[in-house]
Amino acid sequence: MATPRKLRCTVSEILDHGDRVYTLRLKPEFPAPRFTAGQFLHLAIDPYDPSAFWPDSRVFSVASPPDQRDGLEILYSVVGRFTSRMEAELRVGSEVWAKLPYGEFVVAALPGTEAALLAGGTGVSAFTAFLRGYAACGGDDGSRVHLFYGARHPGLLLFRGLLQRLALARPTLRATFFAESGAAPGQGVEPGRLSLAAAWSALQRPAAATYYLSGPPAMIRGLGAELAARGIPPERIRVDAWD
Amino acid sequence: MDTLDPRRRQILDLVEQYARDKFGAPPFAADRDLVHYAGRVFDGQELRCATEAVLDFFLTANRFAERFEADFADFFGAPGAYLVNSGSSANLVALTALTSPKLGERRLRPGDEVLTVAAGFPTTLAPIVQNRLVPVFVDVGIGDYTALPERIAQAVGPKTRAIMMAHTMGNPFDLDAVSAVVKKHDLWLIEDNCDALGSTYRGRLTGTFGHLATFSFYPAHHITMGEGGCVIAAGQSAEELGRIVRSLRDWGRDCYCAGGENNTCGKRFSQQFGTLPSGFDHKYVYSHIGYNLKLTDLQAAIGCAQWQKLPGFIARRKENFAYLRKALAPYEDRLVLPVATPGSDPAWFGFVITVREGAGFSRTELQRHLEERRIETRALFAGNLLRHPAFLDIPHRVCGGLANTDRITESTFFVGVYPGLDAPRLEHMAEAFRGFLKKR
Ligand SMILES: Cc1cc2nc3c(=O)[nH]c(=O)nc-3n(C[C@H](O)[C@H](O)[C@H](O)COP(=O)(O)OP(=O)(O)OC[C@H]3O[C@@H](n4cnc5c(N)ncnc54)[C@H](O)[C@@H]3O)c2cc1C
Ligand SMILES: Cc1ncc(COP(=O)(O)O)c(C=O)c1O
Repeated sequence: MATPRKLRCTVSEILDHGDRVYTLRLKPEFPAPRFTAGQFLHLAIDPYDPSAFWPDSRVFSVASPPDQRDGLEILYSVVGRFTSRMEAELRVGSEVWAKLPYGEFVVAALPGTEAALLAGGTGVSAFTAFLRGYAACGGDDGSRVHLFYGARHPGLLLFRGLLQRLALARPTLRATFFAESGAAPGQGVEPGRLSLAAAWSALQRPAAATYYLSGPPAMIRGLGAELAARGIPPERIRVDAWD
Repeated sequence: MDTLDPRRRQILDLVEQYARDKFGAPPFAADRDLVHYAGRVFDGQELRCATEAVLDFFLTANRFAERFEADFADFFGAPGAYLVNSGSSANLVALTALTSPKLGERRLRPGDEVLTVAAGFPTTLAPIVQNRLVPVFVDVGIGDYTALPERIAQAVGPKTRAIMMAHTMGNPFDLDAVSAVVKKHDLWLIEDNCDALGSTYRGRLTGTFGHLATFSFYPAHHITMGEGGCVIAAGQSAEELGRIVRSLRDWGRDCYCAGGENNTCGKRFSQQFGTLPSGFDHKYVYSHIGYNLKLTDLQAAIGCAQWQKLPGFIARRKENFAYLRKALAPYEDRLVLPVATPGSDPAWFGFVITVREGAGFSRTELQRHLEERRIETRALFAGNLLRHPAFLDIPHRVCGGLANTDRITESTFFVGVYPGLDAPRLEHMAEAFRGFLKKR
């Protein structure tokens, strides 16, 4: 894993998805160090002085693909003190500091294996970089990847268009969407919460699949316990816990 | 930010100016100046960067170490680079990494064998012994001073698990032969690339062929930090090995937060390790019996300035080598001159000479003649390491005898090709050789 490096970045774009969920695009002063899909960065809003310690920061999955090192994208939802400051203070042109890469949450899709990606809310950002790369490879190498992605309402299913396009680009990739409310028939969104029962019936060999979980702590706890109860061994339950 | 303070810029400019006045070299005087075999080559940039690091006063690895590691990893197309405080430390962590329990069945265990050579630098061999592994020695060629390829294949036994060798004097060992043996027997390969930063084999940089590669930034080497070294990992296990290397370097800890950092993983208090209570502070969880081999940001800062000069340094080493090769060509009847291994383009570390049997003079006589003319000479490191007090009793195996290694101990030495050698110094060297050889 590359040594994390601190980068001065400029906010180049902010997308407001509603419900206090945002995409933040950052332009680093020099290309970001190599990272792998699923890794995350630390974001600091206060200026960083190299003779002092790193300021207060929070971690966010890098949603942009690893081959795009001159622009970084994160997705965040406002939940507490730091993310409230991000919402209030960051504007296009603001200077922020990022350091990356961090994390060992690496999704693997090896021939002959099935990977189930379970994403809740902004947790999908841990998968987008991987999915972009996977779709770009094309072809059928015997691997199967299935994304199950739930949000509060269809409007918060971020990247849905992109994810649908990626699934069309590679037939071994499928995506199923869930929304707790507001899912109208014919939209390709299942009503209700992302559930393991639904994922289980959609997978080819659910008992043999590897499960990747990313999202809020309650979702991770719930789905993790259900997977264990169904006999999935711990080494096939990979978690990007956001605590 | 503090770095924009105008006094800072003033200090830096003054330092650079001072460096120019203090270290700008006067012309070479053959009757006074030493012709070194190696040495630091620098200008105001190194002092400027070092002063930047002093003014940051972060002391431990920080922005310069990060920058150096990123540039170094990119140069080799490696996922990561890990700075350590010397080439010897790089060798120690690289080999020890292969003993990590994290590698499961693939780990090296005490008693496993590691192929290497005895004609080399002690700290390529030392980590093998320190990890209670058994070195298996093969002889080297005279002229290229790298392992005899046919011997490598013959030396593999049922307990052989790894190869760890140096690209001696910058000359790549036969990577076709070694890679084939590595593949056939599923061995680990560590390239000690301490002498060979920038050498290529079939157009590809040495250091990218093995699972791990090591580098030294001691002043004699291609670039310097005073003391310093680096490890890179390549291939499928690169990420895994990199994490192990970092852990071994950083006290053996599991967490990858740098000194002074907390909770970079966001999971500092929510994991469970060993039999520790759940949520035990990850910063103090140890997954290896490790070392502290980290370097300071001051060293890395000097390395960042040197890094910019590497292409020029490599070119100069090659040019200086070519000059000496041409100047000494008439004496090949008495001197074995160095040759590049087939398919390679070495970024030479030195110019190695073996005095032929029946030359009519000894190595020592020739060396003495050169040293009297203030031309530094060096032995090809330890000669036969097995003949040194420290290594006399180590458990080991030799495959096919070490006749050439012993000959190197008696008859081989080297002179410099480093970028600090300019035309007058090279001419002085050539003239000194001619003066000795014409009379014989
Ligand atoms: C590996 C990893 C990847 C992550 N990736 C992302 C990502 O891509 N996008 C993203 O948005 N987040 C991500 N996170 C989470 C993120 O790092 C922050 O932890 C999160 O945004 C909360 O930061 P905060 O300062 O706003 O909340 P904090 O102030 O630190 O609060 C933490 C928690 O306390 C609770 N809390 C705080 N204030 C209140 C209050 N007034 N009332 C009730 N509850 C409260 C909230 O539930 C909140 O989750 C990731 C975390 C990890 C570990
Ligand atoms: C081949 C080789 N390996 C390792 C080393 C050790 O490097 P250091 O002096 O930085 O410890 C050297 C030193 O010259 C060397 O030549």
